[in-house]
Amino acid sequence: MPIIMWLFIVPFIASFAILALPSKVKPFIKLFAFLLSLIPLIILMINHFQLKDMSINYPWIPSFSIGFFLKIDFLSLIFLYLTALIIPMSILAVNRKELAHTPLFFSLILMIQGLLLGFFMARDLVVFTIFWEAMLLPLYFIINIWGSGNRQQAALKFLVYMIAGSVLMLAAILFLYFTAEGSNGSGTFNLDTLQHIAATAPNAQWVFLIFLLAFAVKTPLFPFHAWLPDAYCHAPTSGTILLSAILSKAGIYGFFRISLELYPQLLKEWSPALLTLAIIGVFYGGLAAWMQNDFKRLIAYSSFSHVNFILAGLFVWQEPAQAGAILQSINHAITITALFLVAGWLESRVQTTSMNQISGLAKYMPKLCWLTLFFVTVSIALPGTNNFVGELMILFGLFGQNPWVAATLGLSIIFSVIYMLRFMQCTYFGVPSSFQSKWIDIGAKELLISTPLVFMILWIGIYPGPFLDAINQIISLAHGEPS
Amino acid sequence: MKLTLQLSDLFAISPLLILLISALVLLLIESFVSHQAKKYSAWLSLAAIIFAMFAAITAPASENILLTSWLEFDPLARFFTVLFLSIGFVSVCLASSFFEHFDAPTHGEYYFLLLSALSGLLLIGSSADFLTLFLGIETLSVSLYILCGYMKNWRFSSEASLKYFLMSSLATAFLVYGIALIYGAAGTTKFSALLPAYQKINTLSTQTLFLSGAALVTLGLAFKAAIVPFHIWAPDVYDGAPTPVTAFMAVGTKIGAFAAFVRVFMQALHGFNPIWNEGIALLAYPTLIYANFVALRQSQLRRFFAYSGISHAGFLLIPLAADMSGGTTEAIPSLLFYLVVYSLATFGAFAVLAYLDKRSQGVVLFDLYGLFHRSPLQAGILTVCILTLAGIPPTAGFFAKLFIFKVAFQAGYHALVVVGLLTTIISAFYYLRIISVMFSEKSNEKEVYDYSIPAIFVGVASAAAIAAISIYPQPLLSLLLTIGK
Repeated sequence: MPIIMWLFIVPFIASFAILALPSKVKPFIKLFAFLLSLIPLIILMINHFQLKDMSINYPWIPSFSIGFFLKIDFLSLIFLYLTALIIPMSILAVNRKELAHTPLFFSLILMIQGLLLGFFMARDLVVFTIFWEAMLLPLYFIINIWGSGNRQQAALKFLVYMIAGSVLMLAAILFLYFTAEGSNGSGTFNLDTLQHIAATAPNAQWVFLIFLLAFAVKTPLFPFHAWLPDAYCHAPTSGTILLSAILSKAGIYGFFRISLELYPQLLKEWSPALLTLAIIGVFYGGLAAWMQNDFKRLIAYSSFSHVNFILAGLFVWQEPAQAGAILQSINHAITITALFLVAGWLESRVQTTSMNQISGLAKYMPKLCWLTLFFVTVSIALPGTNNFVGELMILFGLFGQNPWVAATLGLSIIFSVIYMLRFMQCTYFGVPSSFQSKWIDIGAKELLISTPLVFMILWIGIYPGPFLDAINQIISLAHGEPS
Repeated sequence: MKLTLQLSDLFAISPLLILLISALVLLLIESFVSHQAKKYSAWLSLAAIIFAMFAAITAPASENILLTSWLEFDPLARFFTVLFLSIGFVSVCLASSFFEHFDAPTHGEYYFLLLSALSGLLLIGSSADFLTLFLGIETLSVSLYILCGYMKNWRFSSEASLKYFLMSSLATAFLVYGIALIYGAAGTTKFSALLPAYQKINTLSTQTLFLSGAALVTLGLAFKAAIVPFHIWAPDVYDGAPTPVTAFMAVGTKIGAFAAFVRVFMQALHGFNPIWNEGIALLAYPTLIYANFVALRQSQLRRFFAYSGISHAGFLLIPLAADMSGGTTEAIPSLLFYLVVYSLATFGAFAVLAYLDKRSQGVVLFDLYGLFHRSPLQAGILTVCILTLAGIPPTAGFFAKLFIFKVAFQAGYHALVVVGLLTTIISAFYYLRIISVMFSEKSNEKEVYDYSIPAIFVGVASAAAIAAISIYPQPLLSLLLTIGK
């Protein structure tokens, strides 16, 4: 079997293997799940140099001319690495003692991994759509079964929003299918073929709009974010990480994949409107984060703000800005994983997410405090960290097009400083609240877990060269095409 | 021309004969040794159905004019026969698990009626003449009137039975009247002669006669399929009937009605007049919209499945509307694919309901609270089936919808596609609410439920079949594409 197929199928095998484990090994199940989730990363690393342009195309449903067509290009590769890295982190974020039905939980996470890997490689629009929607189901169950508070409602809201956003995608891909039939004589869902005909087809703007709507809900772009606060807050920590770090990237990947390949011209034309929405989103997220008294909600809104920052970079039709947007997707995934990880550790210790009830924790949990502070400074894009590079590139690109807009967007960084430092101020500094015995500072285990994240942050922050090389190739490919 | 029936001809119709004979045998056993009948009736019916299934697969097609003028022996007929027999098999399983919880004075009669209804379905699926079609529909309906009220001491059940009888006989009257008008205009009741006869009609009055007949036949069948605005009976009847009967109606009657549609309008009168297609499309809109909105408010699950069934009937109307002359060739396969997926998912769901069914009022949403913690297997089966009904990828329900929308696109019904997709948002909401309830912690009953083997078998088999179709739908698709040609 080709490597690419292994890459896709291993998480599913792992997912069933976890369910089938005998009860004797239950204590080690987290370790097992973690090791199994590392396999895709290992496959990616071992075959790193052969992966580019690798593809498989099996006839899956020939009656509909649907092929199981997976292909890896640079854009996929970046998101594949991201998935392979973040999923193990999210497994490590699980506090196993709090969970009932643990095997099912890990099995679902591994299933998400497989679906995401498939999604990032899919080149057939039906396969793309199937993975796009199927990845929601495991997340729905994770929120629904293991969430907190009003979790059922949050999960239902999440899934119904997602389905509402992407339900018309089915009509859009059928439309493309018949467009291809009209111009080539045979219908196809193959992106390689559609690339040449989609943009010139009649009603292209409607089809593009449907795709944009789906991606906008999932990412989410302002004002399609109504599902976000509840879902982020009521999900268990690892679920929140999956939502913020990976699911939003699926949306961003969708934006890149469909708009750069099928409709570059339309994206260029609609750039002002989309850019406006994204910038409103950045500020809305920032202001909302400022107003929160719940640190999980605060981080959720900061994530929303940052994701819209990425989209702003994408919607500027400028090479550096789009390169920055791709880089920033990696950065955001790493940073938000780190933030939710430390927030989860904090939550499991103080048993609350309200910032009103806690203060001055630095005295009792110094290590957690300094680790959080490090990730917070990363989030506010201090020079030397990865976010600085990405945001600078986006602003740089935007500046070339419209300095005033760039200056406005630049202000948002001040917002992020304000709300993030307010979070630090409220929880860790200030007058210490009375100590409780269950507050134990993080130990070597937690520090070890956060090491890869710190490493990635500093690597991209100090030496982003290798990443930028890969990204520039994607961008120049997209821009080099006659459009 | 042979004018006597050979042995091979009898073999060709053996599925029907086997069902009828075993139904009569069941009745005899019931009359003479009724205490034995309670124990063995279900097994006997299962054996008969399996035997009939075997016969249906192996039987040669008859070419005897005595049979072919009444019955079709094409691959489609064989497919319908196998499908209906499977439905019968599942219905017997569900009924036997129902009788584990509820005691009726006799069990033998129940299976007699079920097998009779089944033979009616078989007749519909292979009918080649309006008369056989009508015979099939009536055999099915009359058996169902009694089955609906089978639990005599259930108040709602008797009400449902009477309601169904009154409304359904009215619809039957329309159907017969329609057939009569068509006969008056075309001079034949044979399906194969209908289209040529229609095309030969040259006076406006005769054409009007024919079209009125077609409209009345459509009305009669739409009633049986529970299509808005002819659906009023369905919620009450589904609600009041015993759960296995509801399951049989939700799947068997619905598929029977659509099989009749396929035989009359998609094959015999294929694309005879675009007005008919327009009319069907006009029925599809209200069916999709109304049923989905009303389903939002249901908490009694038999009633809920009535509305869910109506909304699926709306989807099934789409290929009917799209089946125009010179249009798509995939209308029948898409309809059949949807029917198969729908029946698997509905039966799977009813198998889980059979497990929870403890009162005559049936299962309400509240009974599902915490089902996942009580029985992960049941919750898993119900989840798979519900997701399939909602048509969420990667389940087979998604492919079924994709196929139907593709056909609609080909026929140019873009608005129907958009309305269909938008109503799936609403349906996603009410289907997912069921799943949410199952996974909640609150368990209102501590009682330990005992598994019923036949129901569990049905549930697991349905879920497994759905999984198989979801992962690799191609074999079923290519089979249906060859059948529907």
